[in-house]
Amino acid sequence: MSLSVAPQMKAAVEATDLVMQFDDRRLFSAQKLRFVEGDVIYLQGDNGSGKSTLMKLLAGLISPSHGRVICQGFSQPAWWQAASLLGKAVYLHQHPYLFDGTVKYNLTYGLSTRKSRTKALQQRLEQAINMAQLADLLQHSASDLSGGERQRLAIARAWICQPKLLMLDEPISNMDKHSQKLVLAMINQLKMEGTGLLISSHQTCGLTALCQQHWHIKDQIIHTSQHVPNLDTQQDNSVMGSHYVIAK
Amino acid sequence: MSEGWLALLQQAFRLLLSFDPDVWSIINVSFSVSFAALFITLIPSIMLGFFLAFTHFPGRWIVTNLIQTLQSIPTVVIGLLVYLLLTRNGAMGDLKWLFSQNGMIFGQMLICAPVLVALSQAAFASVDRRAWETSRTLGANWLMAIWTVCRELRVALLLAIVAAFSRILTEVGCSMMVGGNIMNVTRNIPTAIALETSKGDFAQAIALGLVLLILALVLNFALGSLRGKALPRSH
Repeated sequence: MSLSVAPQMKAAVEATDLVMQFDDRRLFSAQKLRFVEGDVIYLQGDNGSGKSTLMKLLAGLISPSHGRVICQGFSQPAWWQAASLLGKAVYLHQHPYLFDGTVKYNLTYGLSTRKSRTKALQQRLEQAINMAQLADLLQHSASDLSGGERQRLAIARAWICQPKLLMLDEPISNMDKHSQKLVLAMINQLKMEGTGLLISSHQTCGLTALCQQHWHIKDQIIHTSQHVPNLDTQQDNSVMGSHYVIAK
Repeated sequence: MSEGWLALLQQAFRLLLSFDPDVWSIINVSFSVSFAALFITLIPSIMLGFFLAFTHFPGRWIVTNLIQTLQSIPTVVIGLLVYLLLTRNGAMGDLKWLFSQNGMIFGQMLICAPVLVALSQAAFASVDRRAWETSRTLGANWLMAIWTVCRELRVALLLAIVAAFSRILTEVGCSMMVGGNIMNVTRNIPTAIALETSKGDFAQAIALGLVLLILALVLNFALGSLRGKALPRSH
């Protein structure tokens, strides 16, 4: 993996001649994949087709069996730091991991990795707390949260970091409608801010209606198209409807 | 018989509570040497444990097995090895560490490190990998991510530290051979207990034994309370 930087270039992660296999079992291959800031991509595939693995690859958490993954348009690392994909595209697990500690500790974790904590970041933190409706839970232990609250907290934690690229692995699976609404609002806000979103799902959901591109893992090949299939969003409309709350 | 034991116990407590200089000098040597050995080995050993648990490289299992073997080597054998290294004609003879606290620290480091590496490796191997992945993907550098994982594993790592500290604080073989049991210099609790018992001076031996017992009790209660707080987590 390598890192190339060009000024005024949109942040992107690009994979070429990608092959992923575990031992002799090929999971998927793709000639070229490009995930650019501002793109909203729906990643479709059956269970076990490799959606999470692809996202981890693009996040730099694992290496491909063949091919290369590069990132472009991100700030150059310090001279003593190795060029790495890690930390460029934020990946959110299907079952998010929350650190042992309070909700507040988890929310501010991403901020603690930053060199300076500006007033704008502080405001974004407060905004995230309101959007995810976590204000009453800030001092609670993260391990006490319900499934929906955990998911909301994880997305709020990523939201605060204002990532250029965000990958969401089945983000609203097993979530009640109220939590879905809150998460959709946060994700829509990120979309409006120009964050690139790669959203995986093996079923249609409210989020897929936001997507403009379609990646489909089928027969061990990743097919890409600019056209998102006509998805049944009846169920999602009831969730989305006019409920987007765009925080200012 | 029981009156004799009671008298010995009273004498032992009197030695401790009256801050008998000989007894407290021995306690001081014991703790300063063992803390120094633990302090020096702690971070490198935990890093090595992390490296062995989180990376795959050819021969990793050989290194892992080697460390586990080192854990079970009798301290007297390590003492012999260190003695041979530090003796005047040994590879490290120029350091003149034989029969000094530095020599004892060196020996205890060799005893402490395998315990720390093996136990921390086991702890890191058991951690949910998503902790590392989440930390890295949220922008933490590798050092901060390791710190985060250590924080998640704090109880297991504390247990490893206590186990390693207990092993070096109570070992006799290496300290006796490398330190030489010199009063006010290299005489620590285990070597003093061995000496006083052989001399028939049980009061001092019991006083020093009590220190180890009290320490074991305090550490175990503290860890038990920590374990209680670290409730099983649902993900």
